[in-house]
Amino acid sequence: MTPFKILDISGDVGLTAYGNTKEEAFINAATGMYSLITDPDPVFEKKVIHISVENQSPDGLLVSWLNELVFHFDAYGFIGKKIGVEHFSDSKITARISGEEFNPDRHEGNLLIKAATYHKLRIEKKDNQWEIDVIFDI
Amino acid sequence: MGLEKVRRIDSTRIEIPVDYKQGMRVNGIIYVDEALEKDLEIQAIDQVANVATLPGIVGSSMAMPDVHTGYGFSIGGVAAFDLKDGIVSPGGVGYDINCGVRLLRSNLRKDDVAAKIKDLVSVLFNEIPSGVGSKGKVRLGPDDQKRILKKGAQWAVEQGFGESGDLEKIESGGCIEGADPSLISNKAYERGRSQQGTLGSGNHFLEVQYVDEIYDEKAANSLGLFRDQITVMIHTGSRGFGHQVCTDFLEVMERAANKYKIELPDKELACAPFESPEAQDYLAAMRAAANYAWANRQCIMHWSRETFMKVLGLSPRELGMSLIYDVAHNIAKVETHEVNGRKTKLIVHRKGATRAFPPGHPELPEIYRPIGQPVLIPGDMGRASFVLLGTEKAMEETFGSTCHGAGRIMSRHQAIKRAKGRKIWREMEDKGIIVRSAGRETLAEEMSEAYKDVSNVVDVVHRAGISTKVARLRPIGVIKG
Repeated sequence: MTPFKILDISGDVGLTAYGNTKEEAFINAATGMYSLITDPDPVFEKKVIHISVENQSPDGLLVSWLNELVFHFDAYGFIGKKIGVEHFSDSKITARISGEEFNPDRHEGNLLIKAATYHKLRIEKKDNQWEIDVIFDI
Repeated sequence: MGLEKVRRIDSTRIEIPVDYKQGMRVNGIIYVDEALEKDLEIQAIDQVANVATLPGIVGSSMAMPDVHTGYGFSIGGVAAFDLKDGIVSPGGVGYDINCGVRLLRSNLRKDDVAAKIKDLVSVLFNEIPSGVGSKGKVRLGPDDQKRILKKGAQWAVEQGFGESGDLEKIESGGCIEGADPSLISNKAYERGRSQQGTLGSGNHFLEVQYVDEIYDEKAANSLGLFRDQITVMIHTGSRGFGHQVCTDFLEVMERAANKYKIELPDKELACAPFESPEAQDYLAAMRAAANYAWANRQCIMHWSRETFMKVLGLSPRELGMSLIYDVAHNIAKVETHEVNGRKTKLIVHRKGATRAFPPGHPELPEIYRPIGQPVLIPGDMGRASFVLLGTEKAMEETFGSTCHGAGRIMSRHQAIKRAKGRKIWREMEDKGIIVRSAGRETLAEEMSEAYKDVSNVVDVVHRAGISTKVARLRPIGVIKG
């Protein structure tokens, strides 16, 4: 199974993420987003951050989840490599993410993602597989 | 809903009638000629119609010729709402609050910099942080940020970045009143801490340009522009700070829309009644972000000026680099407009649209009151940018608004595919344009072909009379994020 693919949209950029479970699709959306910011290969697991997001709506939970990661990148330069979800429900996610601080000498800057949006957002179960479409503001 | 209902009003406008879509309270008007209409996305038309369903909308839901699909509101959208029955929507401003453009003049001619342009671009690229993961040269504590949010460009001037005379040549004096730093989340403060004085990425840029065509000699003269003169254009906004403010308030507004029972055709149109605490809080936070952006452009201008002096070995007087004007093109403002013959206060949302106030308007600085507000329209990195002036007709038709840029026609992905195997920097250099960019694929994404020709966009607003052409600027040096 492909974890994600890039969604072509005029102006900005998006992803379709897949997963056997909703949780897996959420994780793949996150790793997909990281890969848009920089090539994940030279990112090492040097540091761990803990994330907790809550939102009453399923769409809102996905947007909050990704925006939390955007925040950690934009404010502290943290780029994730491995995502371990500790709790996953319809309204709450807690996760442990290992990665490192973006270093322009070793990491190539690609897209500066500034927000995950509700635009054309889709979270759907199709033939036993979860699919997520999400568009980013860049 | 039916596209067949969309009709042409005249050579520069089409109308989306009220019966195009259920719930429309007013009609929609898009400024496009027949040529640009061919690139018009159906989804963008739909978005203009969606905005027309929002409570308290006044006049028409409008879009400028650089219209394209955005989130909720289209890019290039202009919508004004009544203060009593109307709403405020962060989606009508956009994520990059007070994304805008600043133009500097100089005493130099094209020939004066030709030999040094490569050095100049290199040093500018090093001096002005840009791209993914870049950090600003100014480190800000929480109190510094609060001062920026209250004072805008004035804060930068107080730090020695520029002169007090710059301030009057900035929309709203570089500081919009009513900003409240206490409404800003810790996250926004964290993102804003190291991003003051940075260019960002994507379509943001700094360009060294020259004046290659003048359409209105008298106005050009008043603005201090002459043929072959070197100018500098800066296009950036409130960076991660503004994005976080927008992200934070989209959540607030989604709850508010439910609370006030506002029916939304699209989640990104989330809004609240103007008089509600949610809307007032958003406006106070948005103003803070707008001020952050004005300080940002002021800092970048200052470092650009210093770089020119250093590289060319000129004194400030010899260089004569001063601000012509600075406009916001993602903002919501309370303004007075005439509605049915009566002067009325409205909240005007401009998302990818530029204010274009006419001669004599009290909000203009004295020096520009005789000619009208300078309007700055950046194009893509390979073609041109324009200086225009605001008009009375804009006041009558578009709440004093006009276009803001070229508008994309190709997705980033398409552009990257099209650029495969090509060296965009080399193609640009062959055209006499030196480019530097931080991002691996930025130049491919930002190549000329990915955009509409800004000249066509500007021609439509000129012919429609909502702003008039003064000068065309051609790039010779470009810095991208």
